[in-house]
Amino acid sequence: MSAFPKSHNPFADDDDDEEVSKPRRGFNFDDDPEESSLSPAERRQRQLQQEVMRTAQSAVDSSHRSLGLIYESEKVGAETAEELIRQGEALKRTDRMIDNMEQDMRTSQRHINTIKSVWGGMVNYFKGKPEPPKPAQREQPVCYEANSRLQNALVESKQQEDKYQASHPNLRKLDTAGFGASASLDNGPSDQNGYPKNKHLRAAHHQLDSNLDEMSLGLGRLKNLGLGLQAEIDDQDVSLDSLLNKVDTMDGKIGSTNRQLKNLK
Amino acid sequence: MDNSGKEKEATALMAEAEKKMKSSQSFFGSLFGGSSKMEDACDLYGRAANMFKMAKNWSAAGNAFSQAALLHLQMQSKHDAATSFIDAGNAFKKSDPQEAINCLNRAIEIYTDMGRFTIAAKHHITIAEIYETELVDIDKAIAHYEQAADYYKGEESTSSANKCLLKVATYAAQLEQYPKAIEIYEQVATHAMDSTLLKYSAKDYFFKAALCHFCVDMLNAKLAVQKYEEMFPAFSDSRECKLVKKLLDAFEEQNVDAYTDAVKEYDTISRLDQWLTTMLLRIKKSIQEDESDLR
Repeated sequence: MSAFPKSHNPFADDDDDEEVSKPRRGFNFDDDPEESSLSPAERRQRQLQQEVMRTAQSAVDSSHRSLGLIYESEKVGAETAEELIRQGEALKRTDRMIDNMEQDMRTSQRHINTIKSVWGGMVNYFKGKPEPPKPAQREQPVCYEANSRLQNALVESKQQEDKYQASHPNLRKLDTAGFGASASLDNGPSDQNGYPKNKHLRAAHHQLDSNLDEMSLGLGRLKNLGLGLQAEIDDQDVSLDSLLNKVDTMDGKIGSTNRQLKNLK
Repeated sequence: MDNSGKEKEATALMAEAEKKMKSSQSFFGSLFGGSSKMEDACDLYGRAANMFKMAKNWSAAGNAFSQAALLHLQMQSKHDAATSFIDAGNAFKKSDPQEAINCLNRAIEIYTDMGRFTIAAKHHITIAEIYETELVDIDKAIAHYEQAADYYKGEESTSSANKCLLKVATYAAQLEQYPKAIEIYEQVATHAMDSTLLKYSAKDYFFKAALCHFCVDMLNAKLAVQKYEEMFPAFSDSRECKLVKKLLDAFEEQNVDAYTDAVKEYDTISRLDQWLTTMLLRIKKSIQEDESDLR
């Protein structure tokens, strides 16, 4: 199986075209079936049939490889998704901790005010206790947003899948019809050799078609995965920005508190 | 870089710091601002350790950091102590893994005391990695990964917990502790099913759980696959599910060739990794044993 991909047919730039044209050549050489089995025409026919097989086989192999690549991409995407979600959780934790820090900073600021001066202490008494901010419920909405976008993407891709399916059976009919006709024209000894090759070819084509189906499904999944990843990244972008702002204000507060403490000394 | 010069400087700093320590413990030292002397000593130890790091003398750096950490503990600044222990652990990682693990363990104690479980969990993972790579003690590595997963779960970081649990399951299955591995894989897979992004990996976990079932008993595997298909319909379309079904059939017919063919076919599209190959070989061996039994 590994030898075939290396046998680069000089015509193998576009495998599908070659396969459609090959059966027609089979037609031409059916004109002399009466000769002995080793006539130059038959030899040529067998040669061409072998080349057809080889091309079909290499097409099947390359579709296998593409399928493999698609699955690999899916795996990488899935792992990226897990990492992203982990990162999202870490961001949320950081957010919560910064809120806690803010709370602590406010308390310490009050203490410093009391220490600095009696007047400050009285101001504090009148200002009253600072309320703890309510922790935002942010775990659920992140998933929901990704959900709705993905739902839309799913619906769209399903519609396109239908169109793709419609085009497929047509292609299949072309190939086997061609072979069916040539098989009926074949008489004599070449018939025996032609038929099994047809079956092999038909099998190869079926394999190719099923691989292409799987590839289309895989690509659909990849697309949805990509869209989901994009939605998650957008959300995390937003939370990163808000985190940045909070951390900056926190930094300023810590600096000013430090300065106040130094002055207290 | 003048490394030897740095080392000399560093050793000089260490000596100075030790002198300060001793002087602060004497009667007069503790009277006249002993604590600031200790802070200075800590500082000196830190600087010495950094210089040792520059000179790539990891053990000495680790020692210096540990001394600094002990001083911090005496001064009741737990946070600084823990940070210094972590620095010591990192320095020792490159020279003496066992000592590194000791330092990291002490740091974890301090963090759990303070209630900072997330950081403690992160360091449990570091220790487990050291056991995985340098000291090759899989049991202890598993124990630390489990501890890390528990802490993460306590802090509601399910994804990080799942990451650790998956490592536990991988090693458990390799060590033939199948029930544990199965439980973990099923748990993670059920959790992944519901998430929009994670569901693409759910089929992978179901596949691994099914393989573990298979290593135990074929009937279990059959029931398990049915159960998973009901729970997660997308699983039945996946190539992994088709492979498991083919393997089940081959096992029923005791046909080693069919088994090998199915595995080879799967391999042509997606490479099998080390873990999968080990598990599949184990199952294959059990087929061959059954065959020879029948004969």
